[in-house]
Parts: sequence; structure tokens; C-alpha cells
Amino acid sequence: MNTDRRRINGPSGGTSAPLFVQAVKDVGYLQSLRPERTRGPNELRTICKLLQTSIVPSASGSAYLEIPMSRSTTTPTTLIKPSSALKLVCSIQGPKPLPRSVPYSPSLVLTTTVKFAPFASRTRRGYIRDAVERDLGVHLETALRGVIIGERWPKSGVEVVVTVLEGDEDGWWGDDELGAKGGGWGVLNVLAGCITVSSAAIADAGIDCVDIVSGGVAAIIRNPGSKKGNEVVRVLDPCFADHKDIVAACAVGYLAGRDEITEAWTKGNVGARGNELMEGATHAAVGSLSVLKEALLEAVEAKYQGQATVGKLSAKKTETTEDVDMSG
Amino acid sequence: MATKTANAAPALSFPRPIFAALSPHPFLQAHLSSQGQAKPPRANGRTAADFRTPSIKTGALTHCHGSAVVRVGGTSVVCGVRGEILRGEDVQTADVEVSAGNGEGDDTAEISGLRLLVPNVELSTGSTPLHIPGNAPSGYAQTLVTRLRSLLLSTRLIRARDLRILYTPPGVADEMEEEDSVPEVEIKGYWVLYIDTVFISLDGNALDAAWIAILAALASTRLPKAYFDEELEIVVCSDTPSEAQKLELRGLPIPSTFAVFEGQFEQEGEEYDGEESWVLNDPDAFEESVCREMVCVVVDGSEGMNKMAVKRIEKSGGGVVGKDIMKVLVKRSAERWQIVQGVLKEVE
Repeated sequence: MNTDRRRINGPSGGTSAPLFVQAVKDVGYLQSLRPERTRGPNELRTICKLLQTSIVPSASGSAYLEIPMSRSTTTPTTLIKPSSALKLVCSIQGPKPLPRSVPYSPSLVLTTTVKFAPFASRTRRGYIRDAVERDLGVHLETALRGVIIGERWPKSGVEVVVTVLEGDEDGWWGDDELGAKGGGWGVLNVLAGCITVSSAAIADAGIDCVDIVSGGVAAIIRNPGSKKGNEVVRVLDPCFADHKDIVAACAVGYLAGRDEITEAWTKGNVGARGNELMEGATHAAVGSLSVLKEALLEAVEAKYQGQATVGKLSAKKTETTEDVDMSG
Repeated sequence: MATKTANAAPALSFPRPIFAALSPHPFLQAHLSSQGQAKPPRANGRTAADFRTPSIKTGALTHCHGSAVVRVGGTSVVCGVRGEILRGEDVQTADVEVSAGNGEGDDTAEISGLRLLVPNVELSTGSTPLHIPGNAPSGYAQTLVTRLRSLLLSTRLIRARDLRILYTPPGVADEMEEEDSVPEVEIKGYWVLYIDTVFISLDGNALDAAWIAILAALASTRLPKAYFDEELEIVVCSDTPSEAQKLELRGLPIPSTFAVFEGQFEQEGEEYDGEESWVLNDPDAFEESVCREMVCVVVDGSEGMNKMAVKRIEKSGGGVVGKDIMKVLVKRSAERWQIVQGVLKEVE
């Protein structure tokens, strides 16, 4: 472990995450903890009321998105968490003028950063950005670049910063204990969440867009419960911890109003079902769009309600004092 | 004042936000020295002696042993405490005197020597325009985390015995009953607490908000029961929730930060009968940008309000606060302690 002299480091000998004895010694107990999808294949996780805008006062736009854990047990029998929730914060700084040293740009320069908090995943993450985070940043930038009307802000730059407070997992944690490899599926869910949350933040910042982009994920999984044993099913908005055998997955950034895709990221062996998978992801994106629209509408209503009352008050004031020329 | 005239005609005055951005110092001074009011409000609507009351939510993060989300006005902070295990054989005990007893002695050397507490802060999350991500932690962030760490250590908040993972070899335990000898207890490992604080938004007074978040997160921390497994010969944990242990915190130190705003008076001949400087409680980002002198008082009243202990006083940047003002500030901090303690009690 390399030491970072600008931060506080842990013991030089290194530390290890706690190891739960029941999970190590008793494979049957471990398997009993395996979560399963309780939703139908086309049913999305509910993010209703968990999308908020304007949470960072000093940023020009910001949003918070939370997709809760698929199941919530009131009295947990184990300290091991079955799966992870998805919690994202996005804040937007700008558009603001570029520094003089930067060469001329006729349109808005978009910079996207995705950073996982150290406590975002089951194993502790570092503070320095790793390859996965850079990769996510580039994908997010592609998704947003096609939406923003950049020509309206020449010589300006905007920073889109997404902090992942809690990220979706690549698979069930028990499979890691058993030595199975994670396929990096979780980043797809994180990307879809990043697209949705930054879209809300961009709308909050008042940056002109051609449409509202939203993210969605679909996956093809091998269904162990089926009679043939290896039948594959398409599921929308998968929680990868719920599925044992994932064949392929796809995340898209989708513009529902124009029926356009700005970003698609596919992993796994898609085979001949590419269209079906992509279509599923767009369906999931439309699902998150409806929540997105509701949240934005609420935010606008709250904003204009405030302005309307202020307007009324000032109107009253002018009435009582004297006539004022309101033109100009 | 300014807003009213801006409506009417292109007059020689600006709307408030532009006035504040163009000349922040006179803007705040105009607010504080406005006549006719007993307690003139600051630009943010609070009076000089007003604190922002924090709101706290704990246990929001899945993968932490303890966590808290704290909002103080426009500043919001997420803190997660995660315990990891430092194995006994990795402990470098060369320069640290370690005793396995349950004593209440001074265990700061043990905690700081072995680096059992690892606090860190992240400001570059778009929380403020001043900290753009992709850069190394700024001087401000480094100062902040160093202050938090020294506060954690000097207040001796965490007990080393909560972090020790002990093991009594079975053979020795049997003999003990017969011979009445002291059991040989070995330290097989330690819990290392990674205390990560992420700023969601920063509107001044980062230290107070971060510290309250750390306190609330530590208070909500439940570490699983850890023990040395003879069969596997490693330290393992039990996943039964009822066996998880709380951390027993020593006291409840709470910091209060003050900023001193010095007025500027250009006409020296002119008589000015008002105040020349103001001590502002719990400054926001705008006030921090125009104030140079900062005072931070850490008090702990957990032993009773009459025995309010001053744990630390930090002061930098100017000479306005003297002995008398400092007394007032300590008093204000004590009042603040009661409020914050009340909020912390509610969430527990």
C-alpha cells in the first residue's frame, strides 16, 4: 500500500476487513444468506421521492439520487449486509469562464468526475481516483455531451462532479468468498444512476439541453429456477447481487423525447439478443425518466411558488404606497 | 435597501448579490453596523451570536459500522466509520508500550503510535467552487484533517480497550483456577477505525460540522465481536447483531468556531460611536472569506454543566479577541454545547 503524505494513513502493516466466521466455516449458512430477486423481470426498483435537486447551495446545480436496497429487513439476523443501495450526489460548478491559459473553445467544455467515497463499497476504497472511476467519468461525459447545447456557452467550462456515497455491487459478496470472479457489472448500475442524477443537476443548474437524458440498465441472466436449467431471461434494472449467473448487461443514456441513445455500455456475451437487451435498457431509462420529470417539476413548482408569493407581497407594497411605473 | 431602488430606475446601487460579490467587506460591515436595531442581523439573517442548529441522521450507510449525515445550515457532511482488523503480527510494538489490562490509564500513545484512528476528509466533491476535484488535497483540507486528528487524540475520545482484540490461551485459563495466578492475556489484534468524512456541500465552518458528524458516527458505531479462532489461527468476527459492541466514548467535546470581523474606517477624523469589530458565531463561507481572525473553542460539559471543561482553544489571525472577549466566547460555546448535545442525544 502506497502512502499518501497529504492524508492520514493507516497502520503501515496494513489492515484487513473483518472476516465473519460463520461465512467461512459453514457454506450452507453462507448460501442461506444469498439474496434473490423478488421483483418481476420487467419491474423496476422504486426511486420515487428519493431524487432531490438543489442540495448544494454553493453549486449552480445539484441533485441527490437514492435507490434503496431491494429488501429491508426490520430485524436483521446477521451483521452482513445482503446487498448494497445506490446513493449518488451530483453537483455542478459553472458554466464559468475558462482560464486565460486554456485555448479558445467555441462551445462549453464539459468535465466530468466520478468518485467513489471510501465507504461506498464492501471493501474500502482509496482517495485517489482509480481506473474504474476514470472509465465511468468518460462514459458519463459521452452521455451528457450529446444533450447539452454547448454552442450557447463559448469560452466556458462546466464541472460535473458525481460522488458515489454507496455503489451497487458486481455480484453477491458470497461469491467472492467462494472464489468466483466479479464481472464488474456493478459499474453499469452506477453509470445509469450517474446519468440520471447529473441530468437532474444539469436541469437544476439551468443549462440548456435538447432533452432530458436518463439512464437505464438491463441484463440477460441465466435462470436457475427454470425447467431446462439454462434458460436465459431478460431483466430490467437488475440488482446484480440477486443473480448468480449473469450473461450480459447493458447501460444506456436515453433521450426519450427524441428516441436517441447518447451512450451505451455493454458487457458480457450479448450474442444474438443485443437488440432486446438495448431495448430493455431504454425501457428502464424511461422508468427513471418519469421519476426525474416528477422531481424536476416539483422543484420548479417550489421555486416559482416562492417567487409568486414574493411578487404578490411587493405588488401589495406598491399598491399601498403610490403608483409606480412598472414598465422597463 | 439596494433591492428597492434597483426596481425603479438604473440607479447607482446594486442588487444584494452583486454588492456582496463586488465588495464583500463593506457589504458585511453595512449589515453589522446598520443603525436602529438592537441586534443587527448579518448578511445571512442571523445575529452575531447565533449558531446554526445541526440536524443529524445516523446509520444511513450500508457498508459502515457507524455513520452519520449532518447538516449545519448550508454545510452538509457524511461521515462513515469502518473498522478493519490490524493483525497482531503486523503490530510494530517497538516504540509503543502496550498493556493488555483494562485500565483507564493514558492510552493515547497506544492509539496514536499504532495509528488506530485514521480520520480523513474529502472536500473535492463539488461541495464548494474552491475545491475542484482531480487535484491533490489543498492546504485547507490538510489543515482540517490534522486539526480533527489532533482533536480526536487529545480529547482521548476513544478508549484503546474498545479496540483491542484479546485472547486468553485455554491452558493458562485452567491453571488460573487452581493457582490463582493472573491470566496471561494476549493482544491478537486491534480494530483500526477508518473515519472518512465526505463533504456534500460546504458553507463555512467545516471543522464543527465534520466533528459533529464524526461524534455522531462514532456514537452509532457497533463493532462486531472479534476473537482469535484457534482452529483457523486468525482473528474472526461473529455476525450476530446482539454480540456487536458499542464504542464507549470519553466525554462529549464539541467545538464552536468564531470569526472576527474587523470594520474598516477610512475617515479618521469622523467620530464613530459604534463597534469596530464583531465576533460572529459559526461563520458561513462568505463571512469566512472576509474575516481573518478565527477562534475555535472546544468545551465538554458531560461531567455536568458546572464542570464545563475547556478542552482546547485555537486562535489565529489577529488580535481583537482578548481575555475578556475570550471569556464571552467560552460562555457562548457552553451554550452551544447544550444545544448540540441535545441534538446528539435525540438520534442515539
